[in-house]
Amino acid sequence: MYVILILVLVLGLLKACIRRDVPVKDSAKVSNTQSKEIIFPEDKKTVTFNGIDYLQSQAPIGDFGGTFTASTIGEGPKTFNPFNTKDNISSTMSEIMYDGLLTTHSVTGQPIPKLAKSFSISDDGKEYTINLRHGVKWSDGKPITADDVVFTWRDIILAGLGNTSIRDSIIIDGKLPTVHKIDDYTVKFITPEPFAPFIRMLSTPVAPKHIFEPAVKKGSQYFDTFLSTNTKPEDFVTSGAFKLKEYVPAQRVVYERNPNYYMINKNGDKLPYLDRLVYLIVGDLNNEVLKFEAKELDTINLQGSKVARYKAMEPHSDFTIYNLGPNTGTLYLAMNLNDRKNDKGDFYVNPKKQVWFKDVNFRKAVDFAIDRKNMVLNIANGIGEPLFTAESLNSIFLNKNLKPYERDLNKSRELLRKSGFYWDKQGKLYDKSGNRVEFDMLTNAGNTEREAIGVMVKQDLEDLGMKVNFKPIEFNSLVNKLVNTLDWDMVIMGFTGSPLEPNGGKNVMMSDGTLHVYNMRLEKDKNSPRYDFEKRIDELFIKGALATKFEDRKKYYDEYQQIIYDEKPFIYIYSPTVIVAIRDKFKNIFPTTLGGLTHNIEEIYIDNPHPSSHKAQTPSPKGRGEG
Amino acid sequence: MEILKYIFKRILQTIPLLIIVSLISFFIIRLSPVDPLAELRLNPSVSKETLEKETQRLGLDKPIIVQYGKWAKSFIKGDLGITSNGEQVSTKLKERIPNTLLLTVVVIFLTWVVGIPLGILAALKWKTPFDRILTVLTSIGMAIPSFFFAVLLLIFAVRTGWFPVGGLTSANFADMGFFSQVKDIAHHLFLPVTVLFTLSLAGLQRQMRANMLDVLDSDYVKFARAKGLSEFKVVYKHALRNAINPLITLLGFEFAGLLSGAALTEYVFQYPGLGRLILEAVLKSDINLVMASLMMGAIMLILGNLIADILLIITDPRIRVKS
Repeated sequence: MYVILILVLVLGLLKACIRRDVPVKDSAKVSNTQSKEIIFPEDKKTVTFNGIDYLQSQAPIGDFGGTFTASTIGEGPKTFNPFNTKDNISSTMSEIMYDGLLTTHSVTGQPIPKLAKSFSISDDGKEYTINLRHGVKWSDGKPITADDVVFTWRDIILAGLGNTSIRDSIIIDGKLPTVHKIDDYTVKFITPEPFAPFIRMLSTPVAPKHIFEPAVKKGSQYFDTFLSTNTKPEDFVTSGAFKLKEYVPAQRVVYERNPNYYMINKNGDKLPYLDRLVYLIVGDLNNEVLKFEAKELDTINLQGSKVARYKAMEPHSDFTIYNLGPNTGTLYLAMNLNDRKNDKGDFYVNPKKQVWFKDVNFRKAVDFAIDRKNMVLNIANGIGEPLFTAESLNSIFLNKNLKPYERDLNKSRELLRKSGFYWDKQGKLYDKSGNRVEFDMLTNAGNTEREAIGVMVKQDLEDLGMKVNFKPIEFNSLVNKLVNTLDWDMVIMGFTGSPLEPNGGKNVMMSDGTLHVYNMRLEKDKNSPRYDFEKRIDELFIKGALATKFEDRKKYYDEYQQIIYDEKPFIYIYSPTVIVAIRDKFKNIFPTTLGGLTHNIEEIYIDNPHPSSHKAQTPSPKGRGEG
Repeated sequence: MEILKYIFKRILQTIPLLIIVSLISFFIIRLSPVDPLAELRLNPSVSKETLEKETQRLGLDKPIIVQYGKWAKSFIKGDLGITSNGEQVSTKLKERIPNTLLLTVVVIFLTWVVGIPLGILAALKWKTPFDRILTVLTSIGMAIPSFFFAVLLLIFAVRTGWFPVGGLTSANFADMGFFSQVKDIAHHLFLPVTVLFTLSLAGLQRQMRANMLDVLDSDYVKFARAKGLSEFKVVYKHALRNAINPLITLLGFEFAGLLSGAALTEYVFQYPGLGRLILEAVLKSDINLVMASLMMGAIMLILGNLIADILLIITDPRIRVKS
C-alpha cells in the first residue's frame, strides 16, 4: 500500500521532468535553407577627432548595456598571456583582451587594419610598413606606440619566449624577419625573402611594453607563468574591446568593457555596446545544450543531431538559427604509401599491400566507391558538405574547378581491372599476383563520427570485393602508429586547417613535414626518394609562400589541390556545417563563414537592455561627419 | 601516552604503504599508452622544435624510473610540481578543494544529522507503518544510480526553471551582497546535495537501524529494562553507545571520501570541484596532477582510518583494555 503511494509520488516527479516537448516534424533539409537575408554594413573606417584616430563602425546605432553569455567546452583557459597559449580556449580568451595590428575581413578574408591605422607592402614583398593610430590608449591610459609593437616582436615573439609557433612559422631559410621603429607611430617589418604568410602573423596581439618588459627580463621560465589564470584581473593592461573582470575556475570568465577602446559608432559614442561578455566553462556538449535551453546561455553551436529539433522550435522561440557554412575541418581517408624499411629491416607496410596503395588506379577506385552523400545524410544528419579538395570549403584559396562527383562503382571496377585486379565467383577481389585484397582500416576509438564513417567506408569498399578490417583504436596508440611506428594500412582522421593561409598545412603536405601522414618520413629517411607528385607539391608550397600577390599564390595552391584531387593520397570525405543559434534580443548580428557569429562583438547590442549607467559616462567626440 | 605511542606507530606504518601506492600509480600511468603530447603531435601548425621542447620540459625523454625519482624527491620536499600546462599543481588543487569540501561536508553533515535519528526511530518503531515507509524509501534511495538520478534532476531543473543548471555561483555573483551570495550558493548546491544525500542517507539509516535492533535485542538491554530503568535511559544511555561504535569506522571512510567521493555527481552538475579537474588530468596523463590527487586520496584514507581507530579507543573501553 505504501509502495503504491510512493510509486505515485515518484511518477509525479518523473512526469514533471518529461513535460511538453515541441513535436519534431520534417527533420531533413533544414541545413541549407536560410530565409533571413543579412545586409552587411559598410566596412569600418578611420576617423580623426581631436587628434585621435578612432575606428568607426558603420553598423546601425544601438543601445548600450547588457551582457552576452557564451560558452566554452572543457576546463577553461590555462593562461591569459596571449604569447603563451597552447590551446584554442586560452588563445580565444586572451585574444579578446589584446588587439592585433591587423585583422581579417570577415567576408573577403583579406587582411585589414585594426590597431594599425593603415599598412603597406613594398613592391619586392619584403618590407611591411605599419602606421599606428594616434592617441589610442591602453586600458590604464598609457598611449599605444611603436615601442610596444617593436618590443612585442623583438623581445617576445622573435626572441622565442612562450609559445614559439609563430616564430617557427616565419623562419625562412634559417633567417628571421626584423622589426624597426621609424618614428613613434610607424613600424617597419623586413622579411629576409618575400614571404606572403607573414602578413597574417601581423594579427598577433601587441603587448603593453610597460607591463611585459619586467616579466621578459626575468627570463623564459618566469614568462611561462606570467599572466597566468591566477593573476588578479586589475593587473591586466589591455587594448581589446573587453578586459578581464573575473575568472572563476571551472565556472566562468567574465569580461567588462574597456573604456579606452578606440572604436566608435556613427554617433561618435565609444564602443563596445555591451557592458559584459561572459564565457561559461561547461564540461561537455550535453551540459551546454541544457544551459542554452535553461536560458543561461545566449548562443550555442548546434551539433548535427540537434539541428532538426532546434529548427522546429525556432518559430516559437526567442532565438534565431544561422548557417555559417562548412567548417575548416577536413575528414579524410588516407593509405600508407610508405615503401621503406624500419630499423629492423622489415617493411613498414607489407610489400604486397604496397603495390596496391602505390597504384593510383587503386586509390581512385576506393575514392569512387565511397558514398559521401550517404555519409553526410546519415552521419552528419544532413548538416555537412561532401568534400573533394585538400583546402576546406570556406578557404579563400579553394580551387573551385575541382568538381564533386557521385559514387560510381562501375568506374571503380574499370580502374581496378586496368591494374590487373580480378574477382572470383563470390565477388572477392584479388590482385594480379593472386593475393586477396585485405587490409586494416584504423581510426580513433571514442570519436563516434569517425567510427560511423569507418563502418560506412568498410561497407562501400566491400561492395568492390575488398576485405576491410575496421579497427577503431585508442587515440594515443593511433597517433603513435601514424608518426612513429608507421605500421598501418589505411586510416580515417581529420585535420583542422586555416581558411586563410594554405601554408599552415605545409607540415602535412610537404614531403618532409612532421605530419606528412600518407608517406611519413622519420629522421633517418629524410632523403629517401620522393614520388613525382610529392616533389611537385613541395615546389608549389615553397613558391606559394614566397609569392606575394594573391593571384599568383592562388595559382600555386590551385595546382597543389589539383594534384591531390588527381593522385588521391588523401581521400577527403566531408566537412560538417557550422550551425549556431543566438537569442533574438541581440542586434547587429552579421555572421560570416570566416568570422563566425561574434567577429563584430564591439557592434553587437541588446535591444532595450536594462537602464545602464554606462551610457551617461561614454564620452563622445562631438561634431563628426557622417556619410 | 599509550594513544600517542599508538598514533606514532600507525604513522610509521603508513610510510611504506604510501611508497608502494605511489610506485604502482606512477608506473601504471606512465606505462599506459597515453601520450600527453598526442594532441600537439596531430596539430599541423606545431613544429618539431616545439614538440622537442615540450618533451624535455615534461621530462618525457628520460626513463620512467628517473622520472619517478624526480617526482618523489620534489614530493617529499612538499613541492607537487607543475601541470602539463605549466601551472602549479598546488594552486590548481587549492582552487578546487574548498568547493569539493563544501559539497561533501554539507552532505555528510545532513546525512548524519538526519540518518542517525531516523535509524534509531525506525529501530524503536520496528515493524510499524513508520518503519515500513522508511524501509521502502531507503530501498529506492539505494537503488537509484547516482548518475541517472543526477541527470534526471538536471532535466527537472531545465524544464521547471526552478534551479540553475549546474555550477556553483551565478554570473553576477561578485556584485551580490553577502546574504544574496549565500542564497545563490545554496540555490546551486540544492540539486547535487539532494543526489548525494539521498544516496548516503539510505545506507546510513539502514546501518543504524540494524545496529540498534541488534543491541536492543541483547541481554543487557533486557536486563536494564527488567531493572526498571526508564525507556529513555535504556535507549540513549545504554543501547545507543554500543550501537554507534560500528558507525565510527564508517565515519573514517566518510572522511576519506571528503575529497574524492562526489566525482560523478560533480561531473554531471558541472560542479567546479576536484572531480572534473582530475578526470581531465587522467585523460591527458597530466602526471603531476594525477599523482597529487592519488596521493591525497591515499593519505585521506589512512588519516580517516586512524581518526576512526582513535575515536573507537576513546568511546569503547573494551578496546582500551585489550591493547
